[in-house]
Amino acid sequence: MTELSAGGVPPSTSLSVAVGGRVGVQSWWRTPTARRYLFGYTLLAPAVLYVLLLVGIPFVFSLYLAMSDASVGVPVAHFVGLENFRTAVENASFYTALRNTIVFTVGAGILKGLLGTTLAFLLVQAFRGRKVIRALVVIPFTLPIAVSVLGWKWMFDSQFSVINWALNKAALIGPYGSPDWPVWLGQPWLAFFSVMFVNVWRGFPFSAIVLLAGLTSVPPEIIDAAKVDGTSFLKRFRLVIVPMIAPILFIGSAFDTVFTLSDLSIVYLLTNGGPDGATEILPTLAYNTGIRGGALGRGAAISLFLFPLLLPAMIMLLRTLRRRQY
Amino acid sequence: MATLAPTLGQQAPRSPRARAVRRHVFIYLGLIPFMIIAVGPVIWMAITAIKQDSDLYLVGAIPFWFNQPPTWKNFDFLFNNTFYRDWIVNTMAISFWVSTITLLTAVPAGYALARLRLPFAENLGIAIFMTYLVPAIILFIPLARVVSELGLQDSWWALVVVYPTFTIPFCTWLLMGFFKTVPFEIEEAAMVDGCGQLGALLRVVLPVSWPGLITAVIFSFTLSMQDFLYSLAFVSISEEKPVPLGVATELIRGDIYFWGSLMAGALLVGVPVAIVYNFFLDRFISGITGAAIK
Repeated sequence: MTELSAGGVPPSTSLSVAVGGRVGVQSWWRTPTARRYLFGYTLLAPAVLYVLLLVGIPFVFSLYLAMSDASVGVPVAHFVGLENFRTAVENASFYTALRNTIVFTVGAGILKGLLGTTLAFLLVQAFRGRKVIRALVVIPFTLPIAVSVLGWKWMFDSQFSVINWALNKAALIGPYGSPDWPVWLGQPWLAFFSVMFVNVWRGFPFSAIVLLAGLTSVPPEIIDAAKVDGTSFLKRFRLVIVPMIAPILFIGSAFDTVFTLSDLSIVYLLTNGGPDGATEILPTLAYNTGIRGGALGRGAAISLFLFPLLLPAMIMLLRTLRRRQY
Repeated sequence: MATLAPTLGQQAPRSPRARAVRRHVFIYLGLIPFMIIAVGPVIWMAITAIKQDSDLYLVGAIPFWFNQPPTWKNFDFLFNNTFYRDWIVNTMAISFWVSTITLLTAVPAGYALARLRLPFAENLGIAIFMTYLVPAIILFIPLARVVSELGLQDSWWALVVVYPTFTIPFCTWLLMGFFKTVPFEIEEAAMVDGCGQLGALLRVVLPVSWPGLITAVIFSFTLSMQDFLYSLAFVSISEEKPVPLGVATELIRGDIYFWGSLMAGALLVGVPVAIVYNFFLDRFISGITGAAIK
């Protein structure tokens, strides 16, 4: 026994020393886990670097620009602190743009929510031609935005507007030249309404499809169970369907808010902020100040005012996405 | 009394068929306004595109009908008197390069985030996706500097550099969800057969992932086509523009709108994009709502 153990121990110790020695030589980065990490982060690097270089750094750079007097053609910019923000806030057109942006986003958001919900509840039914109708109804969202806005510009034409032609035939308005002939893009309130309408037109299919995804994700067994329990439709709607689709509805409107706040093409192409600032929103003001006017610093400052408006939507999205991961 | 009885009798045990018809009528009635609103403008654009100019401005005529025979003149004008050909070529080239850059970066990133059990993978994935939400309107002024530093102002190459800022985050997120659905076993089998980690990815995982790769290409294309701001801010030379910008800026000369050609040029590219996007819309929705993970 002792012999055996005595004979057995030395090799085992020498073996353990050998293994220990190998582990000691083999640094941690040669272990399979470390190699997997190395491989993984190498694969990640191009995407992360691209995004960091062209989103992260520009974002920080925009903070710097906003605090400088940078302008097109002047290579050296000076630090001016919060001067640009102050100039922006002291400008009356900034308030108009801010107010318009908020009214536009909230108003259009509510309309899109209402229309989208109605459409989603229609499309969730089983009926003939459902796929075809769905494909047609989402066209406003899938058409490139500049393309469809051009179509609307033609439909809002001051003289040959097809909308006015239809209204005139329906005897709702007089002929061209009469005082109740609407010049859609020429009268302040009408122009604001038109711009908002085009945004709603483009966005309602998105709300509807997002909600549709939410509605179809409610397992029918749950609704059936509620039916068996004898709850009324309204109660089922309130207690079963709404809580289940609410998260999706929030995600949908948060995305839509981000899209709406950052979109410039509708206003730029239809009215470019006019008439008389009636449709000016922060994106157009930032573009016209920064690129057209060449005052990069002031333009950057104005566009940064969008950030606090965007932040709630982004935080909400972040939280929902996190929750969905697990 | 005699007339009332049968109707009452009919109403009580309504046949399933009658109920189905009634339901359909109800649904269609609800959908018709949406259809008119959604499709009407596009039809009107299409009619305008093939109308004669003089027909557009006929006072008193029914605008939805051809009072003069339809014409291809607007398309002729587009191809012979404008840079439309260049715009199409530019658009194709931009889409090609943006797709290439997106695939080369988002595929490895999506794979790494989904499959390699990296620490912080989920949070990193979310962080990358959040950059998709940093809007162009905040980035376009600093990016204007980047573009001019690279010497790319007034060239469509500027857009090749800039568009991946939104296609990479979106496609990485999309592909991350996609790679999670590829079974681990095929990778393990490949590694047992002697493939390294990279070999398993290239030889086994990618070939079965082509639907995901195609989706990424499609979104690189359709998302690029939705841009207006970047092209407006960075490209001002006529022959360097992509189609949406070119149509929107070059067919309006002073106060003169070439409506027919405008609509023709817009729809010629817009309709194919809308059709392709339509097929992939559900992927887009499930992608951004996070339901891609299933």
